Amino acid sequence: MTILARLELWKEQGAISTEQHTHLASLSRGEPFSLWLELNLLLYAGVLAFVAGLGWTISTWSQQLGDVVVLAILSIILTASFWYCFSRATAWSAAETAAPTPIFDYVLYLGSLVWCVELAYLEKRFHVLSGQWDLYLLATALLFFFLAYRFDNRFVLSLALSSLAGWFGLTISHLPRHQDAAYRQYALLYCLLIVTAGAILQRLKLKPHFLNTYLNVAANVLFWAILSGVFASQDYGLWLVGLLIACAASLVWGLRRRQFAFVAYAAIYGYVGISWMLLRDSSDEISTLFYFVLTAIGMIVMLFKIARRFGRAE
Amino acid sequence: MRIYTESMEETLRARKFLKQWADDGSLSKEQYQRLEQETVSDLRTTNIFLRLVLFFFTIIGVAAAAALFFTIFLSRPSDQTTGIFLLILAAVSYAAAEVAIAQARLYRYGIEEALAVCSVAFLCVGLYFALFSGVPYSSRQTEFVIPAVGAIASLWIWYRFNLWYAFPAAMIFAVFLPGYWTSSHTAQHLFIAALYTAGLICIAPIRSRHRFDYLEDAYSLSEAFLWLGIYLIFNLKILALSFPPHWWSHARPASEFAASFYWTTWVLIWCLPPLVLIRGVRQKDRFIIAVGAITSVLTLITNKPYLGWQRHTWDPMLLGITLTAVSLFLRRWLALGPDGVRHGFTAAHLSGKDKHTMSVGSAVLGLITPQSITPTPQATNPEFRFGGGESGGGGASGDF
Repeated sequence: MTILARLELWKEQGAISTEQHTHLASLSRGEPFSLWLELNLLLYAGVLAFVAGLGWTISTWSQQLGDVVVLAILSIILTASFWYCFSRATAWSAAETAAPTPIFDYVLYLGSLVWCVELAYLEKRFHVLSGQWDLYLLATALLFFFLAYRFDNRFVLSLALSSLAGWFGLTISHLPRHQDAAYRQYALLYCLLIVTAGAILQRLKLKPHFLNTYLNVAANVLFWAILSGVFASQDYGLWLVGLLIACAASLVWGLRRRQFAFVAYAAIYGYVGISWMLLRDSSDEISTLFYFVLTAIGMIVMLFKIARRFGRAE
Repeated sequence: MRIYTESMEETLRARKFLKQWADDGSLSKEQYQRLEQETVSDLRTTNIFLRLVLFFFTIIGVAAAAALFFTIFLSRPSDQTTGIFLLILAAVSYAAAEVAIAQARLYRYGIEEALAVCSVAFLCVGLYFALFSGVPYSSRQTEFVIPAVGAIASLWIWYRFNLWYAFPAAMIFAVFLPGYWTSSHTAQHLFIAALYTAGLICIAPIRSRHRFDYLEDAYSLSEAFLWLGIYLIFNLKILALSFPPHWWSHARPASEFAASFYWTTWVLIWCLPPLVLIRGVRQKDRFIIAVGAITSVLTLITNKPYLGWQRHTWDPMLLGITLTAVSLFLRRWLALGPDGVRHGFTAAHLSGKDKHTMSVGSAVLGLITPQSITPTPQATNPEFRFGGGESGGGGASGDF
């Protein structure tokens, strides 16, 4: 029985009203057919292509164009974008708010990306901060956090998290000898910072729907950092303990909140890390293959049970 | 012939719709709970994350089991023996997939999908070892059997299990077919295009019988893949996208193609996108519209390399302005219609699913964007030039 036949049946049974039947039947038939998603993707691609071309053009022709022209063009786009956003924005609310106009998010995104291009140009040409790139990234991250929270924009929040990660990375590159261990410590610090910030902001009910973005970014950075510690040639025991704790935390969080991406992180990263530890010195082909067969079966059984108990179709 | 009956598929589809409508507020909680009881299914389903992880571990388990079998039971086997055992493993994997569905009632659970995928892989590799590897006088012309069988097996998996990705897999197998018969690139392209066109001709009448039922999406997606495949086969400059621009500027009409074929394909890459778009719009088919849009953009991007013209740094800007203008124009034009609807299309979002997709997508795209358009932070290298990028950051770290 097709969905249209079912709707007819449910209407006859009185389970749904005639109005609901008309509405749901038209939705099932795609009447009207919504192009909302396609038009948004087109806008996103348009902004991205425009900024990519802008950066490419400036990097190629900056000598011929001259600083004044380049900075004037970038500043006009930047000012126009932010003027549009601040003039059209509705009053700030701590809860999730819809964009005031259909193109609002993309104008903000354009402004944010142009800001990055302009800042990079300024530093290259005028050396305002004498190569202190990390300060630019920190300032950019702070600006993007402000914009993300002011305008309730996940695009810009992701840019902010990305910039902050870049700041941590650049800070360490200023150290005399960069070593993986130092990078790992900064990665852990970054995760700790964004998880704490995300949790506090959620507790304060400040855009609580952003928490998921924080946690997903933090989980992936954390697992990569820990795995690189597990793969290290020495002092990997502590990292293994850290991996087990992170996997347990991710699993519990995923199951409690029905966020199955975290269950997947725990399963995949945990399996890779533990397998590496156990097989690190293994030279026997048969025992290695046995290991993979048995552990794969074990993982399938465990995940099957989890799926049966918690993970119904989305 | 299909492993899931129409009733099973329609029941699961109805459940999916009910959840979507309840989330959108089109149904009350009480209505949802009542109607959900009427769409109970004995099939086990799970969410996308657990499905992917189960798929991953099943692939690992099957591959390791096969390797273990060869290591323990067959010491230094001949290629033919290896091939025969791989063919047996293909049969075992396929049977296991069927049993997993029949007995454990799995539906898009990752496990049965991985088993089906493994069966195709074992079949192709097994055929190679059994028939061609180590055979001194094997003819290259007969080796086409491997991709041919791979394509047929993938099509069977697509049909039997209704797994959408088996269809493009079959198309990819088909790409390798003509290489065994002819060294002419023109002939190869024409053969593949003819094959995909035949697929289109077969699918078009079938899908018209499945309007608004559970197979609509499957056939729509397959048709979209075929259109995309035909376009990609005809666009001889698609590979130029991944090469540096100074290569494009000196690009000659590809020497391995006859000039007439080369310029015919240029005409075709301009004709196909509007044709696909019109078809998508007339069918109100999201996947075909998407392919129409993607191919239109690809045509704009590859036109200059095709003509041997020099690309300019501002070309992406013009493309961006064009895409934005088209999007804004369409949005405005649709919104100005009665109730925001024109010819059955609207720019308003009617389903929370679209909004959810966009909000998840925006978070992911926001993380990817800095890497794709902004430079790598380079504090120590004064010669660094603006461009490229790989390590994130908001982009305020570039160098000109």
